[in-house]
Amino acid sequence: MNCNNIEQRIVDFIDDQLTTDEAEQVQKHIETCANCKVLYDETILLFKAFNDEEEQVPSENLREEFYELLEEEKQLLNPKVVQFNKQEKEFPWKRAFQVAASIIFLFMGYFLGSHKTGKDANKQIIALQKETNELKEGMVLAMIENQSVSKRIQAVNYTEGFEKPDVKILEALIERMQYDGNINVRLAAAEALSEFPESIMVKDAFIEALTTQKSPSLQIAIIQFLVKIQEKRAIAPMKQLLEHSDTPDFVKEQVNDGILQII
Amino acid sequence: MPNHNKIELKKLTDEELMLDVSQGNLDAMAHIFERYNKRLYNFYFQMVRDKAICEDLTQTVFYKVMRYRESYKGGQFVSWIFRIARNEFSDYYQSSKKTSRNTDIELVTSKSEDDLIEKNDNVTHLHEVLKTLNKDERELIVLNRFQGIKYDKIAEIVGSSEGAVKVKMHRIIKKIKTVYLKTI
Repeated sequence: MNCNNIEQRIVDFIDDQLTTDEAEQVQKHIETCANCKVLYDETILLFKAFNDEEEQVPSENLREEFYELLEEEKQLLNPKVVQFNKQEKEFPWKRAFQVAASIIFLFMGYFLGSHKTGKDANKQIIALQKETNELKEGMVLAMIENQSVSKRIQAVNYTEGFEKPDVKILEALIERMQYDGNINVRLAAAEALSEFPESIMVKDAFIEALTTQKSPSLQIAIIQFLVKIQEKRAIAPMKQLLEHSDTPDFVKEQVNDGILQII
Repeated sequence: MPNHNKIELKKLTDEELMLDVSQGNLDAMAHIFERYNKRLYNFYFQMVRDKAICEDLTQTVFYKVMRYRESYKGGQFVSWIFRIARNEFSDYYQSSKKTSRNTDIELVTSKSEDDLIEKNDNVTHLHEVLKTLNKDERELIVLNRFQGIKYDKIAEIVGSSEGAVKVKMHRIIKKIKTVYLKTI
């Protein structure tokens, strides 16, 4: 074994990485070669410096932070299951109506702001109001045949805001007053219709309803309306009511009272 | 899941622990931290003698181990975690190089070093010597001499062959030995 080879082997020898045979060879060489003995000693010295290095201890922060991270990771692993109630949702009429109205108001605001000239703005506003009414009417017509009683009443009530409702709306209301299966809807419709005393269509409908409607509360509502508008044509059907045996006494009283007022 | 309970975890090898972690048993992660936090911290401390930076880097390694646990597919755990640690150090080194005004960045920073000087002359001296090495050389010698990691595993960590590592290591030892003895 020559000295060139040995230098590399010395490290492995110190690290105990050689086979028994190789280690023996190195051992023998060091003992006989003064130069390589120095080399060996120097290497030992260097490695000792490494071994003498003190181990550093990280602060407690490291551990604390680690365990926080670990907890966060565990949370991610088991996310809490959020369950949504699955309700059968019917079309949110009210919400839709609100959204539509707010969009319209937004546009109205925009046009109000952008058109400073009065005439223009007025035209725009009138156009928009018309649009709003059309939209409302559309909503009413769509809602008025809803299966839910409260929805139908709601639709009927929406018509209160109309100054000059479309014929379609009046027809729809009249139909509700006459034929709706629910007395409350019929009453609400009658009440809504009484807001439009000028309409001939409405008057005719009330007169007709007087002969067909059997519910006392509705009869009274109808009588009150006809008396209020001084509808002479109502007298004949009112008299018929008096003759009818089914008519409750308090309705008859209302009729008598009414006839006196009309005349 | 083949997860081990808390008592069993203590007896597991690093590899078994990490496989548990990779399958979602995060309790095993605590054991990995306890076994390795000092080692990683010291590895970094021998590269950069700044406690705050070393703690940050160490924490990041554990975070990544935890986060990317599913990428562990078995194999030597020590090589795997030091591979992550080394990559993390490279990132830190590159970014500190960019931000530092000195083109020749010193791996050894001043503060904590001063404390050491008074304690042990040899260590100070050794660190002066280590400063003469470049980053890769220093990494190799730190892994081998301070961390006691054998050539074959170092080869895995740095992505090289055992033979190549051995040759490099002998060259580095020869180099620092000369400097060390000259200035002692």
